[in-house]
Amino acid sequence: MDFLVSSFVAALRLIGSFPPDVRDAVRTSLSVSTGATVFAAVFGIPLGLLIGLTEFPLKRIVVTILNTMMALPTVVVGLVVYGFLSRQGPLGILGLLFTPTAIVIGGTLLATPIVANYSLASVRGADPRIVPTALTLGAGYLRVVGALIGEVRFGILAAVIAGFGRVVSEVGVAMMLGGNIRGYSRTMTTAIALETSKGEFAFGMALGIVLMVVALIANLFLNFLQQR
Amino acid sequence: MKAMYRLESIRKTYGSIIALDLEELTIAGGRLYTLTGSNGAGKSTLLNILAFLSPPTSGEILYAGKRVDWNSESLEAFRRKVTLLHQSPYLFAGSVYDNVAFGLKIRGIRGKEQLRIVDRVLDGVGLRGFLRRKARELSGGEAQRVAMARALALEPEVLLLDEPLANIDRETSGLLETVIASLPLQGTTVVMTTHDPHHPDRLRGESIVLERGRLVSPPPGSVGSLTREGAAG
Repeated sequence: MDFLVSSFVAALRLIGSFPPDVRDAVRTSLSVSTGATVFAAVFGIPLGLLIGLTEFPLKRIVVTILNTMMALPTVVVGLVVYGFLSRQGPLGILGLLFTPTAIVIGGTLLATPIVANYSLASVRGADPRIVPTALTLGAGYLRVVGALIGEVRFGILAAVIAGFGRVVSEVGVAMMLGGNIRGYSRTMTTAIALETSKGEFAFGMALGIVLMVVALIANLFLNFLQQR
Repeated sequence: MKAMYRLESIRKTYGSIIALDLEELTIAGGRLYTLTGSNGAGKSTLLNILAFLSPPTSGEILYAGKRVDWNSESLEAFRRKVTLLHQSPYLFAGSVYDNVAFGLKIRGIRGKEQLRIVDRVLDGVGLRGFLRRKARELSGGEAQRVAMARALALEPEVLLLDEPLANIDRETSGLLETVIASLPLQGTTVVMTTHDPHHPDRLRGESIVLERGRLVSPPPGSVGSLTREGAAG
């Protein structure tokens, strides 16, 4: 127990002094997670809305695939993207492997099914009167979709935050595609894994606390918007 | 009086259930019709078809002499001439103003003109001063009146009302009845479902009666022939 308490105190001191290693890991984590979340929102929200608002053959199969992709193991995504970005891979010429951009690509693949699925759930759970009301007031298809998004915006915002949560907390993609390069592609999660394995438990704990604070801030932001 | 709608051999089915089966029905412009019938008679189904929200399974509709093509983009143009007020109307998140101005924005009416119309229609339903109120915080009667104002703001050629006077207090009901009764005088065609047997007389409306999806009483002065079963019933 003493070990945990002393580590916790040391972790708080580390956060207070905010050394460059902690600062770099936090900055990298936030930037790659934000980038991946933006791309996941750009692809995932329209995808979820499209599936939710249209009827097409094999829709149930598409939804099942999307559900399955929510549980994609991060290392599998890391492996596949690694295959594409490695020097021998089809995109190797771009030289993206072991860069923050590679983490963004992997993070986008991880978060898109989550954002799409939550957006789909929001549309499915929307009040069935929204669409006929907008239509009878003269709205065309795009305006109907706009009205629907406006009415389910908190669900969609929750989808985006869930996507962010997935990316900011994963290790596999960041480790395999970022390479855990100090001061460049080392994220909070990969730093925690590395420092803990080196016996620097307090350092890992400090980053763990920062990670929790980031998650808390994301949720507080969502609550703030919902109460407006 | 010109015919707003002409329905020919309209049938709407849900699986094996026949919700509506009309041989012929004509609805004249600038008149008020009350649509009555027991639950499941097909009243709401007919309103949804008249509002161009739900296509019939078979049959044809002419609106103001033009054939309605349910698969074309012209449907949006038809919808802009007709507004349906649902029994339990949906108000969008935001203010009363946002709701009443919704259809006006779509029609490109903005600025002072928009404000003038919103003010006028809210005044007409007794909601002066409600502009900035949050729509979701209104009582049932107030919400019903906002929805009515939202529909009136568009000055539709046809206003379809699904039980607009159900579940509201007597005072609000009286006010809305007056508003509804005045619409045909301004040239608006009104088709209103109701369970109140006195509404046709009070509103000086013509009566359409449906039973089990079939017409049993066509509106006088308009073309409406009975199906065989309907005539028997």
